Amino acid sequence: MLGQLLMSGLAAGSLYALTAVAVVVVFRNTRTINLAQGDFAMMGAFLALIFIKSLGLSYLFALGLSVVCIMALGVLTERLVMRPIADSGWLTLFTATLGVYYILHGVSGWLWGRDTKAFPVTFDPTPIHFLGTVVSEGHLINMAWVTAIGALLYSFFRYTKQGIAMRAVTDDPETAQLMGIPVRFIVMLTWAMAGFLGAFAGILAAPIIYVAPEMMDEVLIKGYVAAVFGGLYSIPGAILGAILIGVAENLAGGYLGAHFKTAIAFVMIVILLAFRPQGLIGIQKRREV
Amino acid sequence: MAESITTTAAPAPSGSRAAVATLKNTFQMQNWVLAGLFFAACFVFPLLPFVEGWMVFQGAFIIIYIMAAQGVSILTGYTGLVTVGHGAFLAIGAYTAALLMKYTGLSVIPGMIAGGLVSAVFGLALGLVFLRLAGAFMAIGTLGFAFFIGAIVNNVPIFEGRTGISLPPNTVFGFEIDDFGFYYVALVTLALTTLFVHSLIRSGVGRAFKALRDSDKAAESSGVNRLLYRTLAFSISAFITGVAGALNGLIVNYISAEVYGDIWYSVDLLVAAVVGGSAMLFGPFLGGFFVAMVPFYLEELADFAFILKGVALIAVLVLAPAGVAEVVARPVRAWRQRKLLEAGESPELADAPGPPTGGGS
Repeated sequence: MLGQLLMSGLAAGSLYALTAVAVVVVFRNTRTINLAQGDFAMMGAFLALIFIKSLGLSYLFALGLSVVCIMALGVLTERLVMRPIADSGWLTLFTATLGVYYILHGVSGWLWGRDTKAFPVTFDPTPIHFLGTVVSEGHLINMAWVTAIGALLYSFFRYTKQGIAMRAVTDDPETAQLMGIPVRFIVMLTWAMAGFLGAFAGILAAPIIYVAPEMMDEVLIKGYVAAVFGGLYSIPGAILGAILIGVAENLAGGYLGAHFKTAIAFVMIVILLAFRPQGLIGIQKRREV
Repeated sequence: MAESITTTAAPAPSGSRAAVATLKNTFQMQNWVLAGLFFAACFVFPLLPFVEGWMVFQGAFIIIYIMAAQGVSILTGYTGLVTVGHGAFLAIGAYTAALLMKYTGLSVIPGMIAGGLVSAVFGLALGLVFLRLAGAFMAIGTLGFAFFIGAIVNNVPIFEGRTGISLPPNTVFGFEIDDFGFYYVALVTLALTTLFVHSLIRSGVGRAFKALRDSDKAAESSGVNRLLYRTLAFSISAFITGVAGALNGLIVNYISAEVYGDIWYSVDLLVAAVVGGSAMLFGPFLGGFFVAMVPFYLEELADFAFILKGVALIAVLVLAPAGVAEVVARPVRAWRQRKLLEAGESPELADAPGPPTGGGS
């Protein structure tokens, strides 16, 4: 049973990881706690649903198109909302993303209704025996996607000029600016990346949790808890946090009862922050937020 | 304090010091008169001929929101600790008052005080647990606390979950009161909390809060006890929001996890503090009004109200990043500073810093 719970936890955690990584990427480059991250995902799922159902596109094509659209949405958010107030305190930035959250919730509810919709691509429940545990094929496919995205991100940050520039902005925006890095462009790229990760998070989760304006609310909060677990600055930390939360949830659900399944993440974060205020593998930043 | 500095500054024209002092007194009197007029207007409001019952009810609701936002402002505005979890204290206040009323028959005023006190105990505990948290970590930590309290009221039997607890009509000193009477109870409470916050932020305690906000390291090295003042800020803040919570539950004679088990109160209260401007006394008044009046719960408008709320929120933040109160107060403050300079106040003193933009440490 333990192995099984670990496996289910890994499957759930890999979905949280996409949100957690997006949270970290935006936060460390722009000091913004982005509450609209879940809505990027939700809009991505809705768009994919429309592309498949109404336009009859294939799954992969719809996925790609929707990812591009949500990247544009991320850039738009940066240009229209975040850039005018970029120099304000982080609390102002945080509250502004709450405004974006309200708008995207409202727009999606207004356009597509509040009732949950089934995603046209159904989740494949075929059980697959894997390392002595049973995991459904849908979860395996999702985990493969997440791993691929992780590898993509890794090579982006490691090998491309833009990725290295992004890390430089994280470390020290002012020096980066002085070194000739186009910080504004990098910030835009950051929001595009948030859109990219968001769209994937939404579309991969859609067959499991259905499509509705508030579909990602819970995932967003879990993603945040995961990001804080990793110290809010570290991508590997966020991934680790996401997997830990996924596993802890499934263990609590399996051994303590379903009530504890959602509460456990918050109990974990309160306990963690009480003892390690900078997160599990947090680094002491020169400039505190 | 002012005297010791003026003597070291450029020599002021003779007799100007008295003039400056008189002017400062006048300004203070003006503030008191304005506050008095505001409360007098609120007092008269339900008696006006065109005011209907629902307006009085909505008015009481706004008052409760203002009070709760005042609690948030103690932490977020004056101590620099951003809280996204004050809905939890609202819930604690509401459930304390409701359970006491249901099982012991306590009336509104003792219920209110009990709600505030129990909430303050939780605030104290949270302040201790999160003693070393700062910035965004504090925000997520308090959010976790709100979720935790939400999970408890949803699942522990005594809170009766989503079925909720229905309460008997409210009484004050043995008299049964309706919405009309409740409005006045809320108004008097708000006047008291406002007076309290006013005196608090001008006292040594308030200065210690602000010192911790501006730089906790500097504050600590000049002898401000962080443990003491942070837990104190948490307790006071939780007390005020807890009182508001008790009123919030009692006014509708019904509480349930449907309302208090969610985090929307927490978010709304933070929005109220940020929009109004949490480092000024009348910031929560504007913010509480904003949050209570934006039609969040209108069923038919639901989605459109969401969009409006988001657009309004962003517009306010772009136009007034330090809150609406700051923008309203800016011309007044500029005018007063000019007057002070004319009266012979030394420039560096007249140039008193305003509240910080943004907030947080």
